[in-house]
Amino acid sequence: MFIRMIIKVIARQRTKMLMIALTVALGSSLASAMLNVMLDVGDKVNRELKAYGANITVQPKGALLLSDLYGLDAAAAGVDAYLPASEAAKVKTIFWAYNVVDFTPLLSLQAETPSGREVAVTGAWFSHQQSLPTGEELQSGIDNLRSWWEIEGSWLVDGEDDGVMVGVTLAEELGLEVGDQITLSGLTGATTDDPADSGTADPAPAGTGTTDPASGTTDPAVSGDAGTAGTAATTTSGEATAVSAPTSRTLTVRAIITAGGDEDNQAFVTLACAQAISGKTGLATSIEVSALTTPDNDLARRAAQNPKSLSAKDYETWYCTAYASAICYQIEEAIPGVVAKPVRQVAASEGAILEKTQLLMLFITILSMVGAGLGISNLVSASVMERSAEIGLIKALGASDAAAAWLVLLSILLTGLAGGVLGYLAGLGFAQIIGLGVFGSQIAAAPLVIPLLAVLLVLVLLLGSLPALRSLLRLRPAEVLHGR
Amino acid sequence: MPSATPTTATPAATPASKPTSQALLQLDAVTKSYGDLDALRDISFAVQPGEWVSIMGPSGSGKTTLMNIIGCMDKPTSGSVLLSGQDISRESPRALTAIRRDHIGLVFQQFHLIAYLSALENVMVAQYYHSLVDEAEALQALERVGLAKRANHLPAQLSGGEQQRVCIARALINRPQLILADEPTGNLDEDNELKVMAILRELHDEGHTLIVVTHDPEVASAAQRTIILEHGHLKEIRNNQP
Repeated sequence: MFIRMIIKVIARQRTKMLMIALTVALGSSLASAMLNVMLDVGDKVNRELKAYGANITVQPKGALLLSDLYGLDAAAAGVDAYLPASEAAKVKTIFWAYNVVDFTPLLSLQAETPSGREVAVTGAWFSHQQSLPTGEELQSGIDNLRSWWEIEGSWLVDGEDDGVMVGVTLAEELGLEVGDQITLSGLTGATTDDPADSGTADPAPAGTGTTDPASGTTDPAVSGDAGTAGTAATTTSGEATAVSAPTSRTLTVRAIITAGGDEDNQAFVTLACAQAISGKTGLATSIEVSALTTPDNDLARRAAQNPKSLSAKDYETWYCTAYASAICYQIEEAIPGVVAKPVRQVAASEGAILEKTQLLMLFITILSMVGAGLGISNLVSASVMERSAEIGLIKALGASDAAAAWLVLLSILLTGLAGGVLGYLAGLGFAQIIGLGVFGSQIAAAPLVIPLLAVLLVLVLLLGSLPALRSLLRLRPAEVLHGR
Repeated sequence: MPSATPTTATPAATPASKPTSQALLQLDAVTKSYGDLDALRDISFAVQPGEWVSIMGPSGSGKTTLMNIIGCMDKPTSGSVLLSGQDISRESPRALTAIRRDHIGLVFQQFHLIAYLSALENVMVAQYYHSLVDEAEALQALERVGLAKRANHLPAQLSGGEQQRVCIARALINRPQLILADEPTGNLDEDNELKVMAILRELHDEGHTLIVVTHDPEVASAAQRTIILEHGHLKEIRNNQP
């Protein structure tokens, strides 16, 4: 009988019920869209922010110790600290390998032009195709990590070891244009910006190193002083790599870079080319890593100071969450002898932007539900007023306040939930529009949204019905049946 | 304030105001005030089981207020109302709802049928809030008031008289101790009035206790006694039958 009454009430008040369903559908579609976007936006925003560069740098421990403890540049202190470029691929073997979206080894060196002008040169991967230890094929390089650079000409590509990209300031000073040629000669032992770098820390005798096959070998086209007395460098992994005398190389300008920073005064070449010029075969001075990270919280901050201070449970939570500090820790586990550090400004910005974006969406969700609640409140009040004689009658016939309230509430809840389902489906559509329009990719439907939305809907329906229910409970049968 | 007991109001009155162990309904000095206005003042009378009593009076005399109090839809400001020995004037709203559901059948002048339910379903609603729904029994109640063939019609498809008969069937379905009818023929034509009166007579003959509020002397005269109200006072209790 009760169900029959509910169905007939909904059918009889179909216009009002339709309005309630539409109000709920509107509110829940916005909430559903925002919640789905909010839950998926982390990776989306992170990927967007990846355009602003790497958020983790990996350096040999020795170089970083000098820098951290004494504020000295390793090169300035006369300490060469390298890591094998081949080690870079290991960042894709860590627990959060999937979150590492790009990386490249870098080799910084000092070179000079025939006119004696010293030039800071950086070697890096450009669209470097590689087979990972996992068997996965991956293309990575500085071109992805510096996607905001304005380029006149074209990016270097993997294996283009006779090309150079020159910063706009340096190009103007040297009068270079795309297509011009420039000869760069590596300065002896100088592998950083600091020309005072002497490279005296190389302990091994000259010419005894071996070439790391994974790092890109020296180009046979290398000209100049190649083959002169070299040394062997000690890498982070302790493996020997070939260190020989710097060479000269004549390169063709492929692009003029406008980066708006120090890069405008530098030259960029392939890693193999830089290794050849500097004589540091198979070596790199650092690795830049771009990873999707979770914004730091207290746990991440505590772990960043000392992971060993965490309890076993906290450690597990931290290790299995993509905090920048956790990824750094795992990189250090994968590549012995290095220190991985988050680039704080980038990591913090990512976290702040992500949090603000999610907060904005949460506010929109709350506002949409509040709006729906207000609309529902008016509609339910009107419905109860229209049904006051009927409610008075069933009270007169012996229905308790709770039974009368349940009769009204259930019809509202059923109608609202039907609207909620409609709104949820529409919300999925809106989420895709937002995803494609803003992030250029689809938003995954998060299963969590369904129970979340159901709870929100029931709350909104109950709260929206509350004023009407209060008046319903105050309704006295004598008043509605006899007018007093 | 003078007492409006039947003894003082009229020599023709029966001694119904005296509390008796047999009385189904016993009102004693019932007063209902709305601010300074007394809608009812010092009303006392008793109704025996199986008795048919009419309550008459002009508009504003307090008939509906009295009906609301007897029907457990209102409480007196002072005085007591005993229904089967239970003082319903002191009960909570929740208890009054239960008493109304279990002991009283209500018939309204405006019928008050639920518009979106059929005649049968309107009867079943009373069953639902009382105990269990029994469609056969509800159909039987409609058959009794001559509406079995109209059981699946909506109220809007029924005449006023038919609607009132559905209302009576609904009042009867839970076998109440007391049937309380407010102007049951007030909105009916003569033909339907006769039909409804015939049903009321039949119910009385079966031993039901009836209290009928009316302003129609002819309807009132069908009862055994008529209680006449005027300005909230009990003016007279008249015996209609020898």
